[in-house]
Amino acid sequence: METRKFNLAKDFTKTLSDNNRILIIIVGLLSLIGLLSLFSASMRIDLPFFQKVIGRQLIWMLSGILLMTLIFFLQGKLFFDTAYFIYSIGIVLVILPFFLGRASSGAYRWIGFGGLRFQPSEFMKLIVILSIAKYLCRTDLPITQFKSLVPPLMLGLLPMVIVMSQPDLGTSLVYFAVIFPMLIWAGARTFHIFILLSPILSVVTAFNFYTFFIWVILLIAVFYITREKLWISIILFVLNLSLGFMTPILWNHLKPYQQNRILTLFNIEADPQGAGYQVLQSQITIGSGGIFGKGLGKGTQTHLKFLPEQHNDFIFSVVGEEYGFIGTVIVLILFLLMIFVFINSAFRLKDRFGSLIIIGVGSMLFFHIAVNIAMTIGFMPVTGIPLPFLSYGGSFAITCFAAIGMVLNVSTEKPIGRHRL
Amino acid sequence: MLGIVTAVFFIIFWRLYYIQIAEYSRFKGIAESNRIRIIPLEAPRGAILDRKGQIIVENKSQYNVNVIPYEANQSKETYETLTSLLNISQDELDRRIKRHSRGLFVPAKVADDVDFKTLTYLEEHRVDLPGVLYSTKPVRSFTSKANLSQVIGYLREINKQDLKNIKQFGYKQGDLIGWKGIEREYEPILRGTRGYNYIQVDVLGREVGTLMNREKVLPIPGNDLYLTIDLDLQIYAESLIGERRGSVVVMNALTGEILTYVSKPDYAPGLFSGTVKADVWRDLITNPDRPLYDRVIQGTYPPGSTFKIIAILSALENKTVDPGWSVYCNGKYRMGRRVYKCWKKEGHGLMNMHDAIVHSCNVYFYNLIRKIDIDVWSRTASNFGFGSKTDIDLYGESAGTLPDAKFLDKKYYGIGWTDGTKLNLVIGQGDLLVTPIQMVRFAGALATRGKIVQPHLGMKFLSRSNSQFSIFAVPSDTITSYSSETWEFIENAMFDVVESGTGRAAKVKDMKICGKTGTAQNPHGDDHAWFIGWSKPEQGAPLAIVVMIENGGSGGGIAAQIAGKIYHFYYNPSTQQMLADRHGNP
Repeated sequence: METRKFNLAKDFTKTLSDNNRILIIIVGLLSLIGLLSLFSASMRIDLPFFQKVIGRQLIWMLSGILLMTLIFFLQGKLFFDTAYFIYSIGIVLVILPFFLGRASSGAYRWIGFGGLRFQPSEFMKLIVILSIAKYLCRTDLPITQFKSLVPPLMLGLLPMVIVMSQPDLGTSLVYFAVIFPMLIWAGARTFHIFILLSPILSVVTAFNFYTFFIWVILLIAVFYITREKLWISIILFVLNLSLGFMTPILWNHLKPYQQNRILTLFNIEADPQGAGYQVLQSQITIGSGGIFGKGLGKGTQTHLKFLPEQHNDFIFSVVGEEYGFIGTVIVLILFLLMIFVFINSAFRLKDRFGSLIIIGVGSMLFFHIAVNIAMTIGFMPVTGIPLPFLSYGGSFAITCFAAIGMVLNVSTEKPIGRHRL
Repeated sequence: MLGIVTAVFFIIFWRLYYIQIAEYSRFKGIAESNRIRIIPLEAPRGAILDRKGQIIVENKSQYNVNVIPYEANQSKETYETLTSLLNISQDELDRRIKRHSRGLFVPAKVADDVDFKTLTYLEEHRVDLPGVLYSTKPVRSFTSKANLSQVIGYLREINKQDLKNIKQFGYKQGDLIGWKGIEREYEPILRGTRGYNYIQVDVLGREVGTLMNREKVLPIPGNDLYLTIDLDLQIYAESLIGERRGSVVVMNALTGEILTYVSKPDYAPGLFSGTVKADVWRDLITNPDRPLYDRVIQGTYPPGSTFKIIAILSALENKTVDPGWSVYCNGKYRMGRRVYKCWKKEGHGLMNMHDAIVHSCNVYFYNLIRKIDIDVWSRTASNFGFGSKTDIDLYGESAGTLPDAKFLDKKYYGIGWTDGTKLNLVIGQGDLLVTPIQMVRFAGALATRGKIVQPHLGMKFLSRSNSQFSIFAVPSDTITSYSSETWEFIENAMFDVVESGTGRAAKVKDMKICGKTGTAQNPHGDDHAWFIGWSKPEQGAPLAIVVMIENGGSGGGIAAQIAGKIYHFYYNPSTQQMLADRHGNP
C-alpha cells in the first residue's frame, strides 16, 4: 500500500486541476444561492435555527462536504474494486424500507437511523453509476454487440423497478436516465441505444393515432437505413407495434392520481385546484418575479404559501420570484457551466473508469436540473425530482456532494482503470 | 452531447424569458389577486327623521356569531358549547357552517341577531371558545312610538334576479335595498357608499400582515332624510284609529307636505329591522286584514257623498244652474220604474244648493246630475286629479277609476247605460273609485281655491359630505279658471257642514273647519265612512284632511270625529306648548 503524506489544505489545492477548481466554485455558489432561498422560504417560521429547513440543510451540506472531502482522498482504485459489493449493499438498502414498513404518506422510501431518516434510493443513484462504470471497463467487452448492453441495463433497471414500486417515479427515472449517456460514452452503437429507447417512444406516441403512425414510419425508416438483419428488424418492429397497442389497455390500469400526474403534462391550466395547480402556481411565482425580482423575503407567492413544496421541488421558483430573471439566468448559467466542466473533464481524462464516472454523474445532475426546472416552468408534471445543491433534502444533498467528491477523485488521481481510452 | 445539453438549456432560457419578461404583467396580476382580498366596509344607511328632526328610523348594530371552521373542528367542546348556546343541533350547526363557508379559515356565519346574554357569554368565554367570533352588522332600528309602517317600508336582501337591473349602481347580491315605502323611494339618498379595505391573505385565506401600497377607502354614510311627517300628530292619529281599518292623511294644502299618514292595520316596523323570520312573514301576508297593504294610496273605494262637491263645481262653473236653484226632497227620486232614495227617509223638504251640501241631500243631486253631461262632470273630477295618480313619493300608488261616457260605453257594451248610472256616480257610488290620497288632495284644492299640489313625504336631506341641507322641489298646478264666487260658495257650504250639518262631529272650538262627510255603500258589509275637509287658521297654511274608516258606518260619525280630534290636537295651545317644551323649540 502506498503511503501518503497527509496535509489536507496543501494536498487539496495542489492536486486540483483548473476544471475542478471551477467546479468547486460553481458548487459553492449554487449552494449559497440554495441556502439563501431556503433562508427566505423559512424566515417566517418561528422555530430554533437548526430545526428550520435552513439550519437542517446547512448541517446536511456540511456533512456532504465532509463526505466529499473524504471521498476525494480515498484511492480511486478502492471504488473500482468494491463497486459490485457496494451495489449489492445498495440493493439491500433500497429493499429494506419495505421490511421496516415505515410508511410516510404511504411510501416505503425511508430508513430510520437514530432519529435521522435516510433515503437509500438517493445514494443508489451514485452506486448505479459506479457499478455500470465498472462493468463498462471490462477489457474483453465487445461493446458494439448488443448483448454487451444487457448487463449494464440490468444494473440500472433492477433498482429502478424496486424504487418505482416504493413508489417513487422520479428517483427511479434517474437510474434509467444515466445508463444511456454512459453506454454511448463507452462506445455502444447508436442503433442499439435507439432500439433500447424505442419502447418508450412506442408507449408515449401510442396515446394519439397520428403520433403513433408517424413513429411507426420512423421505425421502418431507421430499420431500412441501418440494414440490420431482417429477422431482427421484424421482431423489433413487431415488439414495438404490440407495445403501442397495449399501452391504452395498461393506461386504464393506472390509479387516477397517476394518470392525472401524467395528464397534467399536456394541459396544466385545465384544473387549477388539482394536479396542475402546483405547476400553475409555480409559473405564477416565477413570472411575477419579473426581471429584477421582488427581493429577498418579499416573494408573496412564497411567503403566503401559494407556492407549494417551496423547499424541495419548487426552490427554483423561489429564486425566480425573489431575484427575477437575473437570478434564474445566473443559476442556469452556473448549471450549464457545471455540465460543460463535466464534459470537458471527461474528454480530457485518459482513464476510462474515471471518465465514465464523470459522464454518469454529469448525466445524473443534468437530468435533475432539466426535469426539475422544466417542471417549475410548466413543461413537465410534478415528478418529485429535486434541484441539485438548491433543494432541501439530506440524502439528496449528501449524494450530490459525494458525486462531486467522486468526480474530483477520479479526475485528479493517476489512472487506475484497466486500460486507457 | 454538448448539443443536447445546450438545446435543453436554450429552451429553458427562452421559457424563462417568456414567463418572466414577456408575460410578466399577467403573472404579476395573478400573484396580486392571489394575495389581496378586498374587504367591503359597509356604509351605514341614512337615518329618517320627521319635520322637526325627531328620529323615526336609525341604525343599530345586530350581532352575528361567526365560526372559523378550521378552529371549531379542532375542539369538540367548542362545538358542544355552541350548540347549547344557540339552541341548535349539531347537524344544524354543521349545515350553517357549510352554507356560509368561504374557506377553512374564513369566519362563517352561524347565527344572526343574537341577544345580549349570548353576546356576554361569548365575550366572557373567549378563551375557551377558539374560532368563535361575533361581528356587527348595521340594521334598521325603530325607536319612535309611531308605526308609520307603510310610509317607511322596509329593506330586503337583493337576490340574483334583482341584481340584473341594478348591478350598474354597485349593488351586490345579499346587499340590503329599500324595497317598499320611503326606503325604496329615497334609496339613492339613504344609501351610503361602500368603502373597501385591502388585506393580505395567505393560501388558506388567513389574514397575514398589511398592505403598504393600498389605501383603505372609507365608507360614506347615507344622507339623513327629513320627512314632512309631524311625528307627534302621527302618533296621535295612529292612536285614534286604533284597531279600526282605514286611512288618515293630513296635508299642508299649500305645499302638499304630508303631516300625518296612517294606514291601518299596520305592523310593527321592527319586524323588518333585520332578517324577517319566516313565520312572521307568513302571518303578515296571510292576515285577512292585509297589514302590508297601504290603504292610503292603494285602497280604492267609492267616495260617497264627499264627491257631491264635484257636481256642484261642475254645475256652477258651466252655469248649468245657479246656487239659488232648488229641489224639493220627499225622500225619493223616481226615474222610470226605479226609485232612488235619499238617505233621509222622510225627505229634506225644499233644498237649495247650500242646504243640499250641508245636509248631503241625495235627491237634490239626482236632479242636478240629470242636467249635467256625464263628460262635463267627469272632466271636472279629472281637473281635481281623480282617475290619475297623485305622484306621491311612494311606490305602488293606484289611480282609481273615474268613469266617463267612453268608459261606460265600453263597460256596458250591449247592455247600455242610462241616466240611472249617472245618479249613482253623482253621489259617489257605482263605478267610481278613489284613493284617500286623491281625496286629501281634492280637499286641499278646495281649501286653496284651486291649487293642485303633489302630496309628498320627503322634505329635505342632510348631506353627510358637506353637512348641507338639500330641499326637494315639488311641482304643483293651479286651476285658475274658476270664479271666486264658486270657491266662496263651496267654502261657506262646507263650513256649514261642520258648523251645523252632517259633519258637526268635526267641529273644533275657535277654529274654522270646512268639510264634507261621505257614507259609501259597500256591497261586502257595513258602509265606509269618509270625511274630507280643511282647517282655515288665521295664520299659516290650511291643513287638508281625509279620514276614511272601512265599515265605519256614517261619515258624520267616527270619521268626522277623528278629523275633529286631530284638528283639536294640532291647534290646541296646550298641546303646542307641551310639544314645544319637549322639543325645545317654539
